[in-house]
Amino acid sequence: MSTVAAPPRPGTDTDGDAQHRLTEALRRVPAAAWPLVVFALLFLIGGIVRPNLLTLEALWSTAAFAMIVAIASSGQTLAVIQGGIDLSVPNTVTLSALTFLSAVDGLGAFGAFVAAIAAGAVVGLVNGTIIAKLSLSPIVTTIAMNGFLFGVVLLTFDFSQLTDIPRFASDITSAKIAFLGTEVAAVVPVGLGLLLALQALLSWTGWGRALFLVGAAPDVARLAGQPVDRIRITAYMLSGALAAFAGIVIVGFYAQTSTGMGAPYLLGSVAAVVVGGASIFGGRGSMIGTLGGALVLGQVATLVAVANLGVNIQQLIYGVIILFVVALYGRRARA
Amino acid sequence: MSAPAIPLGARLRRSPGLVGLKREGAVAPVLAFVLFFVIYVAINPELLTRFQLQTAANLVAPLALVALAQLLIVLVGGIDISVAAVMSLTNVVFATQLESASPLVAGVLAVAVGMGCGLFNGLLSAYGRLPVIAVTLASSFIFGALATEVLDRPGGAVSEGVTLATSGELAPYVPVALVWVLVAAALLWLLLQKTSLGRHIYGAGSNAEGMRAAGLNDRAAQLTAFVLAGGLVALGAILLAGSTATGDPKSGDPYLLNAIAAVALAGASFTGGRGSVVGTICAAAILGLVGNVLFFAGVDSYWQYVVGSVIIVAVVGIPVVVRRLSARVKGASA
Repeated sequence: MSTVAAPPRPGTDTDGDAQHRLTEALRRVPAAAWPLVVFALLFLIGGIVRPNLLTLEALWSTAAFAMIVAIASSGQTLAVIQGGIDLSVPNTVTLSALTFLSAVDGLGAFGAFVAAIAAGAVVGLVNGTIIAKLSLSPIVTTIAMNGFLFGVVLLTFDFSQLTDIPRFASDITSAKIAFLGTEVAAVVPVGLGLLLALQALLSWTGWGRALFLVGAAPDVARLAGQPVDRIRITAYMLSGALAAFAGIVIVGFYAQTSTGMGAPYLLGSVAAVVVGGASIFGGRGSMIGTLGGALVLGQVATLVAVANLGVNIQQLIYGVIILFVVALYGRRARA
Repeated sequence: MSAPAIPLGARLRRSPGLVGLKREGAVAPVLAFVLFFVIYVAINPELLTRFQLQTAANLVAPLALVALAQLLIVLVGGIDISVAAVMSLTNVVFATQLESASPLVAGVLAVAVGMGCGLFNGLLSAYGRLPVIAVTLASSFIFGALATEVLDRPGGAVSEGVTLATSGELAPYVPVALVWVLVAAALLWLLLQKTSLGRHIYGAGSNAEGMRAAGLNDRAAQLTAFVLAGGLVALGAILLAGSTATGDPKSGDPYLLNAIAAVALAGASFTGGRGSVVGTICAAAILGLVGNVLFFAGVDSYWQYVVGSVIIVAVVGIPVVVRRLSARVKGASA
């Protein structure tokens, strides 16, 4: 069915060559940059419609919202890159937030922070072990884990007593930091630092490069002598720990808890990862892309809110954006 | 068929029904269901009273139908994230249409909307060649938005007559909801097992290349699976609207993960081509009734989430472990 088109030889056809050079140049743009470009465009469009949207304050308020989504999606990004998915993010978020709040009295803020992250890592360890060692489908395993954690959360925590949000949690999230004459929520620099560190881990460490290989071609990775199971398990552990961090960030920023506090991040985290240009089948994705995806979704929410169109239209546009991105990137290779 | 010399056990093992269940991975969930049912009746013999049978049927029926829909998508090698949104949408369409239309018209409309949603997903997946999980992720945002657009808070006009027709009793000891599920399941089973379209649906999931090489249309089979799944979800949504006597734009949400869990528990393969209708019904019954059993056993009903997930991992995981161990034992003895 498919015909192989020979690439035009340089210098033979000037017209086609120019076009070729343009597509080549566009192809050289890292995939992770596109969501950021789209975000910049949306930001400018917002500014044209409403000049007061073209200010640093407006940028920071969208960025704070988007950064929380990006942090909650960072673990999902790792899970997706290595060829899986983590649907236990919602209740890992809830578990961690509540573990943090209830441990603060006994362990102090830092101890509670460590305990909550450790809880998330244990969740990921169990997920990863079942998926890698028992070859259960990641979707099934993490759905079961999500249900399990929901039960644990309901049975363990007394919601009425968990209303005090420790200073530590709000210091790293909602506290305002002066920057260029404006005030930015602390979660923006904190999240940016975290995502850049994770991107460095993905791009420049052996573990990070192996993660892509495991996602794209697990058999090849195995033949190449990579410890595929161990890489998978550590990826899920990190995913759990990052979801746990997101839980602390969310409870710090929004200063409230509920059994359903993680629910928006079930589809939300996958949406940010997909809009960020990752392949849902694994092997492609980046933290910067996910941040871009979250920013695009966040800016859409801002624009819809400013235009007073309501949450329904926002959700509708989210759906259309995901379809559009998937149509651009997600074509199955084989017909 | 079998010669009289063959012992009963061997004859049973070779019976077409059991071979079919085995091939489709449904032996473990059927056994789990039998065990579960025995435990349930031992803890609470009252289950077999008219009222409790009816309540239990109403609890299980919507999940069973949505799980059958998810099974169809899993059979063609995908996973449908949008079932929850389609369920919410058809639920509110049914409940609001009842304000002006007759129950039959409202029901037909809801099923048509469900099938339309399936058509949307199916066209993009089968003919647009986009990954099913990504398409349905996107469409779940879209259908969910439409659901809240139709009805933004619980309401609608579900009459008592509708409630009786969806979740009452057809005859003493025969809950209507159970009849609906069994009719839908029987039709689906006949379609999947006895028609060429059904075999094509299995084929599209297990070996699409092979189907195409044989000159068969795997995309049409995939599209049909999506449309049928949309109709099944709508039927589940109608039963839910009937038993809760209201339409709710969020009513589908709990069914997203539960339907996938039921299909997993049914032993279906998420790479496509393997899964059983019988196993899915058994799995949905188990997951739907775990909470009830715990309640009657005097356990905090929050344990149902913990127990449900442990059952899934155990039923799906134990056969894997057994297979590995037996392979290792055989390998050692060889």
